[in-house]
Order: sequence, then C-alpha cells, then structure tokens
Amino acid sequence: MAFYKRKEISGGIGYTTIIDKKFKTNKVEIRFITELDPKTAAANAMAVGIIGSSSSRYRNISELTAKLNSLYGANINISISKRADNQILSIGTSTINNKYAFDGEDINGEVLDILLDCVFSPNAASGEFDQEPFQFRRKDLLDTIDAEINNKRGYAVMQAQKSIYKGESSANSSYGTKEEAEAVTPASAYSAYNRLLKEAQIEIYYVGQSEDIAAEEKIIKAFSKVERAPVICRFKNISPLKAEVCRCGERLDVNQCKMVMAFKSDYENTYALKLVSTLFGETPISKLFANVREKLSLCYYCASGYNEFKGTMIVDCGIEEANIEKTENEIMNQLKAMQESNFTDDELENGLLSLENALRGVGDTTNSLVNWYFSHFIKNDIVDPQTEIKRYRSVTRQQIAEAAKSFELDTVYVMRGEE
Amino acid sequence: MKIEKITCAQTDSCYNYIKHPSGLDILVCEMEGFSTTEALFGTKYGSINTMFKTKADRDFTIVPEGIAHFLEHKLFENEDCDAFNLFAKTGASANAFTSFDKTCYLFSCSDNYKESLKILLDFVQAPYFTKENVDKEQGIIGQEIRMCDDNPSWKVLFNLLTAMYHDHPVKIDIAGTVESIAQIDADLLYKCYNTFYNLHNMVLAIAGNVKTEEVIEIADKSLKPCENQELETVFPEEPYEIVQKKIVQMLPVGSPMFNIGLKSGPLSGYERHKTEMECYIAANVLSDASSALYKRLISQELINSTFDSEIFAGDGYFSVIFGGESENPEKVMEEISAEIESAKKNGLDRKLFESIKKSTYGSIIREQNNPEAVANNFINTHLAGIKPFDTVKVLTEMTYEDVMNALNERFDTDNMAISIIES
Repeated sequence: MAFYKRKEISGGIGYTTIIDKKFKTNKVEIRFITELDPKTAAANAMAVGIIGSSSSRYRNISELTAKLNSLYGANINISISKRADNQILSIGTSTINNKYAFDGEDINGEVLDILLDCVFSPNAASGEFDQEPFQFRRKDLLDTIDAEINNKRGYAVMQAQKSIYKGESSANSSYGTKEEAEAVTPASAYSAYNRLLKEAQIEIYYVGQSEDIAAEEKIIKAFSKVERAPVICRFKNISPLKAEVCRCGERLDVNQCKMVMAFKSDYENTYALKLVSTLFGETPISKLFANVREKLSLCYYCASGYNEFKGTMIVDCGIEEANIEKTENEIMNQLKAMQESNFTDDELENGLLSLENALRGVGDTTNSLVNWYFSHFIKNDIVDPQTEIKRYRSVTRQQIAEAAKSFELDTVYVMRGEE
Repeated sequence: MKIEKITCAQTDSCYNYIKHPSGLDILVCEMEGFSTTEALFGTKYGSINTMFKTKADRDFTIVPEGIAHFLEHKLFENEDCDAFNLFAKTGASANAFTSFDKTCYLFSCSDNYKESLKILLDFVQAPYFTKENVDKEQGIIGQEIRMCDDNPSWKVLFNLLTAMYHDHPVKIDIAGTVESIAQIDADLLYKCYNTFYNLHNMVLAIAGNVKTEEVIEIADKSLKPCENQELETVFPEEPYEIVQKKIVQMLPVGSPMFNIGLKSGPLSGYERHKTEMECYIAANVLSDASSALYKRLISQELINSTFDSEIFAGDGYFSVIFGGESENPEKVMEEISAEIESAKKNGLDRKLFESIKKSTYGSIIREQNNPEAVANNFINTHLAGIKPFDTVKVLTEMTYEDVMNALNERFDTDNMAISIIES
C-alpha cells in the first residue's frame, strides 16, 4: 500500500500526500464539500464547471485545451456528485511524469500552475464570471440535467431517491434542478464559487511517484490567502423509515420496466449491514443473482447496494411488466432467507473473499486511492484496507442475521412502459 | 518453449510473448508494485462472425444473429457447476463480454491469481450446453436485449450502422433479437464453440501481479492441445456507398443525440491500425476542443461537451464517427462536412497536429499505469493482428503528410450518414 499522510493547512483545509513509486502519472485533486442544498446546488455545479474550463490566462475551453494538449494531454477534470446529504465538487489534474517528456519539460509544474490559475484567477471581473465560459457551462449543465433520462437504470434510481429520501437533502440531484440552473447568472455563479472557497470543507490530494515539496508549498501558499469560515458537513444521517411503504412510479416510452426497492435500517454495525448487502445482491453468486436472474430468468440484472451514511440498501432490476409482482415477492423471499440466517458458511466466506479482493486492489490506481482516503476521512476513521478486512472478518453470523432483520421495506418505485 | 521479451523504450514498459505448444498465444506483463492481476482469455469470435467454415466443412455455416453473445453466457455454466461459483472461492471478480469481433472471459483479483487462472482456462475449455440450460437463458438475454433497446447511446450507434452498411453483419445488434436467439439450440452452440474456441484462434492476456513462469506452468497443465482447423470466416460483399443519408428514431432523451459516420473501404492488420491512428489524429485536429470547428459549434450552441469522435474499424468495415448532443444535428453535420472539405483544400492546422500527437502519446503512457488497460490492449491488438507496441511505433513515425492522406482518402463527405435519436 502507498505511503499516506494528511496534514491540516490554513483555514482547516486538509492536504493529503499519497506516494507510490509504481505510478507513471501524477494527480492533484481539490474537493469542495458542502451541504446539498437545492438553492445552491446548480450554482455550485456551474461555478466549478466554469473554473474547470477557463482561467484569466486561458479564457475558454478551447484555449485551455490547446495548452493542455501541448502538455502531453494533461487534463483538468471536474466532478460533481453527492455523498449522503452533501454535494462533492472536485477539480483536479492528471499528468504523466516529467521523465516521459520528450524535451525535459516540467509538465507537472506547468499543469499545477494552470490549475491554481483556474482556482484563484478565474475568468471573471466586476464580481461575475465572463460570459463565454459561463454560457458554455450553463448549456452543458442544462443538457446534463435533461440527459439524466437517457440512462434509464440511473434515472429510475434517481427518481426513486426523491421518494426514498423525501424531505432530506439526499433527495436532490447533485446538479440541482433545471429551474435552478436556468436561474443562475454569471454573478450568482461567481458568488457561489466564492462561498465555496470560504465556507466549504476543502480536501486536497496529491498522488505521485515521489513527494513534490515545491508543488506542496505552492498549493499551501495559494490557499493561505483565502479567507475561510468553513462549515463542517455531517455525513452520517440515517434516513427515517416511513410509517407506511411508499409505492410510487411513472410511465415512460420504454421497453423494459425498472423496479427500485429501498430498505432502511438503523442497526449500528455497518460492517454487518454491508455484508448483508454483499451476500444478498452484490456479486454473481449472491441470492438475487442466483435466484431472481439464474433460477427464475426474470431479469438480466438485479443487484443491491448499501449506503452506510443513510442506512439504506437499494435493490434495482429491469423486468417485464407482467413479472413485477413475482419479482418483488422473490426479492422479499431472498431477504427473508438472509433474515433467517439461511445462507451457508461458503456463501459467507465467498462474500468476504469478494470484499477482500476489492479492498486489496485499492492501491492500484490513483483514483481509487483518493476515493479510499476521502471516504475514510469523512467517516473520521482513517484506516488501511487490511484493517478494514479484519473488521469484516470479525462480524458473526448472528450479527449478519440481526442486521438483515433490521432492514425494513421503505419505498417501491416502478417505471412502466406507456399504456 | 521460448519466452520472447518485447520492450518499448518510449513508454518504459515490456511484456513477454509465448507461443504455447497447444496453439495458444500468451502475452504477460509483469507490473512491479501492483496488487491486481487482470487476465483475459479471448477468442476472435464476435457478433459479425455469422458465416464460417473450417477445413473439415464442405460448405459455409450460417448461424442466427446474437449466437456469439449467447455462447458467452452459456459457457459460464459447466456440467457440475457455474464458473462464478468457482471464482467465488478465490475472491476473484469474474466477467465476460462479447463485442463485434471478439469474446473474452476475464477475472480481476488481488490474491490467488494462479487458482483463478486455472479456473479461467478450465471452464472456457469445458462447454456444457443442454436444451434446459439454453431455454433458461432465453429469458435473461431477452431482458438484456430490452435493456439495450431503451439505451439511446446504443441505439444511435446501431441505427447509424444500419444507415451505413447494406449487408455487413456489423449492423446487427451484438445480442441479436428476441426472435433470432429463439433459433439457437445446443447443437448450434457446440458447432460455434468447436469452430471458434480453438486455441489457434485464441489469446491469453495477463497483466499486473503475475510471474511468466507460473503462467506457463498453469498453461502447460490446463491447455488441451488443438489441431489448427484453418478457420475461414467470410462476410457478404459490402458496397462502398452508404445505404441512406439519415435515420431518426424517437426515444425518451434529453437533447437529441446524434452519430455522424463517414464510411470508407475496409483494411486489415498493421495497415488498418496505421490508418486508424492517422484518422484518429485527423478527427481530433478537426474537432478537438481546441479546434476552430469546436469553437464555432460551441459559440452557436450547436454542441455541448459530449461532442466527440472515434474510429470504428474491424474486419470488413471502417468508418469515422462524430457523436454528441444537439438541438440541430443536421447543422452539425453540415459544419463538419464543410470543415473537412476546407482542411482537404487548405491543410490541417499543423500546430494542432503536433499537440494532438503529443496528447495521444500521453494517453498511451497513462494506459501503462493500469493492469486492466494493459491486458485489454494486449487482447485488442493481438486479435486485430498487430503487436501491443505498434501504436507507439505508428505514432512516432507518423507525419503530417500521412494524416493529410488519411483525411483525403477516409473522410468522404459524399459517403456520410447521420443517425438521430429525439424525443
């Protein structure tokens, strides 16, 4: 596993260094963490989009791309996502190591300067972003929101989440709504960005072959000039179980129905809950795969996923309309089997091996390393994968059955074809 | 048995090539410091291989659409158990995929790779097809087909292929149709298996935390030597011209999606790869985010950041495809067409050509950072009849004139089709 250290720099900002000599690329990523508020989500998303595609030096996406191409296809990438009730907005770079440059160019140094320019010297004046990058990102954000319907599986889960987390921040899309995006102006996006710089939690990651003290000093110096009043985000926020199961859905012009079922639990042992989900529906040997797909041929996919921050397990599948009830019954039967401890020692051992396999591979990509340490930072529990493996191994069969019993059905969303 | 070590100074990487006595080609990349092992066992058999014969056959066999993909599903079931259950005991994450021209079985693991490799080699060599297990799969694959029918990104590509190709099976959906897979039975699956899953038609690619000698030891024990069957696959004669200029389908989408394709004649082996790379560079010089065309389309709000290009080439087909989202896809096609003609007349931007070449080199270096990418590159290049480092060679030797020639020969704006998906 790579060398890891995190230190706090000015304004409560975290600076994490991850070193592994096997990497041929370097990565710098700045993550802004803020509450997912429908009033600000779209403006935040647009603001980070704008700084990721322009600066006062490279004033639009074309000028920026031209420069990055000449730096061996270095990229400045942005990402907008949600984690529990929070919006995570990141801007980062990925470059090849300087030793691969044809003419000894300092690729990493130049790209870092460009990134810091984007962050601290955006293409803005008089309190608003320039129209050109603003219009580019505005259209992009509106099209992204419109395109959520293109991926029917993802869209079904997103629609279901509106009911699953009704009244909670998690019910919102990380991009905000179309109406909110349409209302954003160059000035409101700019002030949203300044608010992020001041109030968001900020975590910075550097991943490379070796420590780069010059880069670290440059980043620390740049961030030391920011006036900070960070608002600490809460991540663990268990979603309350509804008094009655919410049954909802919609009709669309689709060939295949999508069903999303959400189960909620406030059981304390998250490792036991994750193991329930693993054995229930996360692998090709899970209960759902073996029975709903292989035995009954009801679907191509039927899988579960567990969100420990919200205490929610979501199952989704694509099925024929005529099989909706049959599929729901079978999913409930399989959960009942888990609750009755009706799984073999082999199933448990295989589930553990599958988790271990994923955990041991964490150190093999720069992205997975950043995600690993970020996920554990927000849990305030920095551990290495080996420790995590031991924790899974310490879960008993009885705890798994108890955890399974604690999951109760909260929401069933069904997308049907048009009548 | 000879282990041939092949190195690439530019990317600071190397791999071992072994021609195994069983007939199988094996490529191994030992990547120091990585925990993951990525292995793919692939055959040169995909959805386009619907007509074939071996030296033992008098006539060509024609099989139902989607059978390569169906076979991939069924191979996971052996006589006594499911291959997934075997992999479960090692913790490896196993999967398989079928594309236009290949079928691959793979696993990724961070421990016990030798045991997983043995399972991979064994189950792919042990088919077990019965009426019952074939019937059972119809429902599962039927749902996979329906899922793809609701996927606009999938449909926009296949509709474009239908608009470009008269007879070549590349226009057929990889999974076939509910009707075509209904014609598949155990005998047909065995026929296809025995034809294409011959080790002379296959390759093993493995990268990451692995030792070449250990791979050979397992291969020696597991591989069943095969006689070369001199497999012949044929494709219907495909006219140069496209079928129709435009195809539109209504599906629930946000902004309308489009694919614009420029069809040209097929190539094979190194020549195809070289031309693919030249066309890739040309398409990027024309339409990369730093290009004049991109700036113009963005300023007119005709595209968004999904705008992209790719080279779509294989046995019997070659085309350049531009894709994205637009409220006015036909105007985008007009602009692309005008830009191509202008570049043919006035030349491509030389400065941009140099920086796109540099950028492409950077992406090759990035690929070396990841066992999954390395193993996939081995499979893709080997089954295309070239060597893994040929991409670096082509890129290093590529001149501006080569790219201009590719532009003139392969970007035929009179042979251009558009596929649109709109709500």
